Amino acid sequence: MIKLIAGRIVLLIGLLLAVTMLTFGAMNLLGDPLFNILGPVAQSTDPRDQPDIEAARADFNLDRSLPVRYGLWLEDVVVNRDFGRSYGSKLEVNDIMKDRLPKSLLLAGMALLMGVVIAIPWGVWAASRANKPVDKLSTVATFGIVALPNFALGVLLYYAFALKLQWFPLKFIDNEGLYMRLKSMFLPALTLALPLAAVYQRLLRTDLITTLQEDFILMARSKGVPKWKVLFGHALRPSMFSFITVFGLNAGALIGGALVVETIFNIPGAGSQIVESIIRDDFPVVLAIIVVITAGFVVLNLLVDVLYSILDPRVRS
Amino acid sequence: MAGTMANPDHGHALVESEPQNTTVKKKLGIGFWLSAAWLALIVLLAVLAPILPIKDPTETFRASQGGAGAKAGPSADHWFGTDENARDVFARTIHGARVSLTVGFAAVAIGMTIGGSLGMISGFFRGWFDRIFSFIFLVLLSFPALVLAILMTALLDRSLLVITIILGVLAIAPIGRLARAATIQFADREFVMAARAIGAKPWRILVRELLPNVLIPMAALGLLGMAVSIVAEGALAFLGLSVEGGAISWGKLINEGRGTRLLEDQPLIAFAPIVVLFLTVLALNYAGDKVREYFDVRELSI
Repeated sequence: MIKLIAGRIVLLIGLLLAVTMLTFGAMNLLGDPLFNILGPVAQSTDPRDQPDIEAARADFNLDRSLPVRYGLWLEDVVVNRDFGRSYGSKLEVNDIMKDRLPKSLLLAGMALLMGVVIAIPWGVWAASRANKPVDKLSTVATFGIVALPNFALGVLLYYAFALKLQWFPLKFIDNEGLYMRLKSMFLPALTLALPLAAVYQRLLRTDLITTLQEDFILMARSKGVPKWKVLFGHALRPSMFSFITVFGLNAGALIGGALVVETIFNIPGAGSQIVESIIRDDFPVVLAIIVVITAGFVVLNLLVDVLYSILDPRVRS
Repeated sequence: MAGTMANPDHGHALVESEPQNTTVKKKLGIGFWLSAAWLALIVLLAVLAPILPIKDPTETFRASQGGAGAKAGPSADHWFGTDENARDVFARTIHGARVSLTVGFAAVAIGMTIGGSLGMISGFFRGWFDRIFSFIFLVLLSFPALVLAILMTALLDRSLLVITIILGVLAIAPIGRLARAATIQFADREFVMAARAIGAKPWRILVRELLPNVLIPMAALGLLGMAVSIVAEGALAFLGLSVEGGAISWGKLINEGRGTRLLEDQPLIAFAPIVVLFLTVLALNYAGDKVREYFDVRELSI
């Protein structure tokens, strides 16, 4: 277990270094940081603008060479946990992240939770009626959900439940208490949760059908244990392995999906921020979000591996 | 789902149904042919769009010029109505297929060619070459694909060619990993051993013995990959990060029609491309699954 965690931490550090180095290099070589900071003034040859240009160059370390600049950036991040200042708004990137990140985490957390909450009863229900018409219908439904891209699903849910039925607000409401915050986050989270639930349900159902043919299930049933108790108490836990594996792998899809969903439902989270920042070439903000996303992705996968070895003792050795 | 390129297991997850009864002769089934028919229809419409008797997707039909006007509902003249700029939604949906399908097909072709050959060479010769490429595939797969894609679109210009190459690069790792796994499996089989025994050169074994076998699982993954690429282009277009200029794709059309007022007045602007995109992705996914089932390659897709 310790070896597993240590290995993943080394992988994470290597991955973060590689990703930030590539991003940093590409953004500085292909873009023009000075122009992104100052706007058109950056290209001015007017002597009156020169002090401003010099000040900005010194301020953002642009007078240093590229490797030195990367080193300084890295030092700031590692030693001071400071991601620098935005080129656009000149705000501290840390403050932007403090404002944006919690909303994205709430969205992702709700989506994962809803995905599991929908998938487990659905999978158990389908497995207990395997190959009957209702089960076949639910299989068709999973195919349909997975074929609907999240930007299309989001627009449909928005249209039906926010615009027509008006059960949910049209945009994210942050300042009217927890209930309103969760309520306005419901549809975006559902957009991400439905495809997750469909995938989880299929895996759970397949594994459960196999488990239900085992002798200990027959034994429990003949002892007189009620059917629901056999399903949830005896059969569920040994049927969760593929489900848990995919749980981690899907985190990447979730992060990608969050970018799109935050845009549809006007959520000022990290996903919509990275899209805005990329369009405006605001490198410090982009780098910070990339670091958080990569780290989150690797850590989530590590958590899944740990969970896996708790569920199945054979993996531990 | 967008961004699932990093995750080839995802499509696979839906295939793993209960074990098939092996005594029954396998058939592709009516669903496969329906999917194939829909795909053929869409491809045909996309290719023939400029010469078909449909409206010009950029032509405006303003009320002041005697047209149907902006945001008009469906009519005999405009089957799906008109959009905010009084353009024909039906014609735009058909023309949108051109970019979406081109990108989907070309990206998979790039992934198959580069990923397929790298994967096969890795799996056949093993050694340091295999180690390097397995690591590169791992790094590519351990990063959310859509984030990688938007990062690249930000740094490069957004022409049709660049977008296609970006999505093609993202398809290399999953396809490469599958090709590698399949090659390793087939390399141990008797017919490869027989070829070695009669003194066939490694390259000949690779091309004549292994390639035809590896191509089948790759074709199944390729159909799923096409769906993923079309969706990924849609997501980029939806975020305003796909092909610049006047090019129309389904993702862009959905984005154009999703404004609150517009959805209220003329939902078909967004719904028409949603339905067409949905049916296309569904058909590709279903056909891919059926091909995989038909050739019984389930165990290969790691």
